[in-house]
Amino acid sequence: MYPSTGAVSKMKYKDYYKTMGLPRTATQAQIKAAHRKLARKYHPDLNKDPDAEEKFKDVAEAYEVLKDPEKRAAYDQLGEAPQGGEFRPPPGWEEHFSQGPGPSRGRGTYSSASEADFSDFLDELFRSQGAGSRGASSRAGSERPMAGQDQHAMIVIDLEDAFTGAQRTINLQVPVIDEQGRVAMQPRVLTVSIPKGIRAGQRLRLAGQGLPGYGGGPAGDLYLEIQWRDHSLYRVDDRDLSLELPVAPWEAALGATVTVPTPQGRVDLSIPSNSADGKRLRLKGRGLPAASPSAAAGDLYVVLKVVFPKANTDAAKAAYQALRDATRFDPRANFPG
Amino acid sequence: MTSKNNRCLQGEIVEESVQFSLTELCRASGATEDQLKLWVAEGALEPQGEFELHSRATRTWVFSGSALRRAVIAHRLESELEVNPAGVALALDLLDQIEDLRRRR
Repeated sequence: MYPSTGAVSKMKYKDYYKTMGLPRTATQAQIKAAHRKLARKYHPDLNKDPDAEEKFKDVAEAYEVLKDPEKRAAYDQLGEAPQGGEFRPPPGWEEHFSQGPGPSRGRGTYSSASEADFSDFLDELFRSQGAGSRGASSRAGSERPMAGQDQHAMIVIDLEDAFTGAQRTINLQVPVIDEQGRVAMQPRVLTVSIPKGIRAGQRLRLAGQGLPGYGGGPAGDLYLEIQWRDHSLYRVDDRDLSLELPVAPWEAALGATVTVPTPQGRVDLSIPSNSADGKRLRLKGRGLPAASPSAAAGDLYVVLKVVFPKANTDAAKAAYQALRDATRFDPRANFPG
Repeated sequence: MTSKNNRCLQGEIVEESVQFSLTELCRASGATEDQLKLWVAEGALEPQGEFELHSRATRTWVFSGSALRRAVIAHRLESELEVNPAGVALALDLLDQIEDLRRRR
């Protein structure tokens, strides 16, 4: 993954100033302020946009370099390359670095690949101490037994999985320490049972599946945070589900029996006559099941959405005109004046 | 630890069936005991039942499983954005409000 020499000849140039929205002449104070602002804006806990985490990492990587005057000077020496272009660093540029890349952010959440979060570009830039040693643990070789670290990761499941329980295979990147005390990321595949009744935002604890202990200490635990895969039909609120049900005007006015999908299969739902648009009908116990037998299952709310056929034929127009004449309906009767 | 493991692992749902002592919550969230104590003092986290804030009482604190989510977010806000304990408490409350609004939409 990190070839020993000459590997820097081709790589994607990253414009850290552009990432931070700053000119190359920015002061250290401006860089710090821009980082604060962008980090808050894109922090994955504060911004639910799917791209936020990626942007947050880009900003963190840019700041990692620009906040340190020595690294910034070395980066500036690379010169400006066209965005996304490949470039060849000037000869001997690596000698500018006397230090390693500094402490890693050590996120340890969302994905377990905390030390591998930064780009290959940064890894190559500060390769002088070996990218693999970033965040290396001083605990390697320690004789005293120590418990392994807990790990956190995210798992995306389907709504249907919570009804029946399911098995899911997950891929983790776990840091492994080699004989030289360096950290390398290794893939790890686990099959996990998803218990019935689990919900998004909850965490599943897998005892002893975190990082291994040291010197005979116990392994840490693995925590999997549950997220729903977006569902085309249902909205989720805790254990309750809601489903938007399109109905024709005559179904809403006259009443009807309509077949509606539920996660446990289709059911016939009777719509009372004179139902207004937006009316909520509750199917008790048809929401997400509870995890424990003592708790109640959620409900499924069917929300009526009255949709109208277009008046694009003579017959349809005549039908609307007949409705107008028959009802003398004034939808704005309660407007003043 | 092997890199491949086909046995199906059974877990427990933290919010349903797990409680944490201060030490356990510290380990699971990655925060230090001092950080957790400061967050409790700010009301960002609350041990279950009646609890006391003096130093000897912290050994008797019991947190519900849902405290882990809050502690993890608090830890990230502090380490990545340098938010102080009062700011952490405010951010967590505002995040709860946003979540409520999102649901009611």
